[in-house]
Amino acid sequence: MNELAVELEGVCKSYRFFELDDIALQLPSGTIMGLIGPNGAGKSTTIRILMGLVHQDRGEVRVLGHSMPDEQVAAKWDVGFASDDMRLYDSLTLGWHMNFMKSIYESWDAGYAQLLLKKFGLHADQKIKGLSHGQRVKATMLLVLARRPKLLVLDEPTTALDPVARHEILRELTDVMVDEDRSILFSSQNTQDIEQISDRITFIDRGRIIDSMDKEAYLDRWRRLRLEVPVGVALPALPGIIGIRQTGRLAVVIANAFEADLPGAYENSGARVQAVENMTLEEIFVANVERSREGVTV
Amino acid sequence: MGGSFIISQADKRPLYLQIMEQIRQRIAVGDWASGQSIPSIRQLAVDIGVSVITVKRAYLELERDGVIVTRQGKGSFVASDAHVGTRIREQELAQHLEQAVRSAALLGLSPKDLEKRIRASYDRVADAEKESV
Amino acid sequence: MNGSVVRQLALKDWRLHRLQVILSVAAGAAALGLFQIGREIPVVLGATWFFVTLVLLACMLPMSNVVNERKKHNLAFVMSLPISPRQYAMAKILSTFGMFLVSWAILVVAAVWLIEARFPHGVIPVSVVLTGLVLTGFCLMASVAIVSESEGWATAAIIVCNSSYGVIWYLIIRVPETAKEVGGAVAVWSPRVLRILATEAALVIFCLGLTFYLQSRKRDFI
Repeated sequence: MNELAVELEGVCKSYRFFELDDIALQLPSGTIMGLIGPNGAGKSTTIRILMGLVHQDRGEVRVLGHSMPDEQVAAKWDVGFASDDMRLYDSLTLGWHMNFMKSIYESWDAGYAQLLLKKFGLHADQKIKGLSHGQRVKATMLLVLARRPKLLVLDEPTTALDPVARHEILRELTDVMVDEDRSILFSSQNTQDIEQISDRITFIDRGRIIDSMDKEAYLDRWRRLRLEVPVGVALPALPGIIGIRQTGRLAVVIANAFEADLPGAYENSGARVQAVENMTLEEIFVANVERSREGVTV
Repeated sequence: MGGSFIISQADKRPLYLQIMEQIRQRIAVGDWASGQSIPSIRQLAVDIGVSVITVKRAYLELERDGVIVTRQGKGSFVASDAHVGTRIREQELAQHLEQAVRSAALLGLSPKDLEKRIRASYDRVADAEKESV
Repeated sequence: MNGSVVRQLALKDWRLHRLQVILSVAAGAAALGLFQIGREIPVVLGATWFFVTLVLLACMLPMSNVVNERKKHNLAFVMSLPISPRQYAMAKILSTFGMFLVSWAILVVAAVWLIEARFPHGVIPVSVVLTGLVLTGFCLMASVAIVSESEGWATAAIIVCNSSYGVIWYLIIRVPETAKEVGGAVAVWSPRVLRILATEAALVIFCLGLTFYLQSRKRDFI
């Protein structure tokens, strides 16, 4: 059994106004990866290439050990895919869709499907066109979850959902992790969700991967330092810093490769460290994108 | 067992620290008894609804502090020595004192000044307790 | 294991469009009912109505079965299933052509049978040619819709085909021999008629083959 659920290597794809450049990504089995980036960064394109819906110009794509897109049929038996621009058939009922999935997939768990119907507050004989946006998203997730696929690939599964619906979906996603052979890759604009349930985080901006690593290690590398800078003191250029913003005697330093001796280094230069704060993923996201747009290299 | 863990994104501290604190609390008050087996990393992650890697980190740090023990193939347990609860409280106190020292430094207090402040707080707390009895 | 997914997809298409197809066949049957009256105007009306029903179905099926799936973003759902682009194309060809061919065959057989019972048989060959024309037109429109994946191109194909029926009918009927055969009591399968039928059949097969081939070379779905 392949221990990597998903592997992308040197993947490139050119469109007229956009280019995916040298995408490399690894999702170990039994983990959740969160994909974040601004709109238009290439998250959806990467996911489509991963699913074999779009053929890459260059590079290797392997999903559950199958080479994509050539072996996409074999892969898709074990992959559950849901994207926010996907629609079910309006004129048919949720129950029809459930039977449809059941007729195709042997792994369809009817009991779990019924449970999800109750949990999500849906009714099998409701027509899709009668569902609200949140209900439609939950219906699509139900169809994906009840098959118990080995790999879930989700493109913005919680976008535009109310907090309760979002919580319900996140719950089901973390429940998937009970089985250490199952994996999830999802993209989201909601940094809170990503921060909470991902084991690994991958950042994409403008068609390139900026960062891809273990979430805890990643969050640990970033700090915000609040300094008091007395008159006449110049803040030294220290390694691991990506930005300093100073107004008057107060300065805010953003570090993306924080070391324990950093505050001490500032104190030695004459500044006073008022606080060393952890940053939320959202704050890291913004700092990262601003940095990559300004072309500052680390 | 993990159902009553509350983690909040509004809390400025990282998730793994929040989890560690709540585990320590359970041990300190005795809900998780000394020597008792505790949920596996994966199981607790699923129960709380956080990533496996966050719980893994919490467990690793707790193990480093001697609060829990992980035995290969058997799972994780609360440290079986009778003083686990006390050790946790000691670690908490050490943290609080370090914070006090740092705050005092920002205010420019000398160690003697800090001592006076601690004494004053002690008296205040003692009075409050007398009144509430 | 995969033939079954193709089959489920074709069945799904039938489920989505069965009302449309059944109503069309019913409308065509009703048109044939007018033939029973026997007098000139009802017969002409019935014939026109019959023809229009066939043409409508030929236009609507490619649009609603092929183009709409993409427009309404249902395609992403289908493509998440364990099939390849080629298999999707097959399922689409199967359901689109299948639904039309069966309807067409039922209506044409019913029409020929009706004519044979009550009218001079001379009109049969051109009737078959004419309905064959609609079938050919359908194949063209369906192929364009499936291959181009574009509402624009599909619409263009519909306009081209519908505009051509009149011209082609005129070209067929103005040949003096043909006009005489139509008026006669016996069905005359002249070389002329057979050649036209053969051309229609060849076009149908060519369209199908080309569609299969082009679809199997597609690399991207979306």
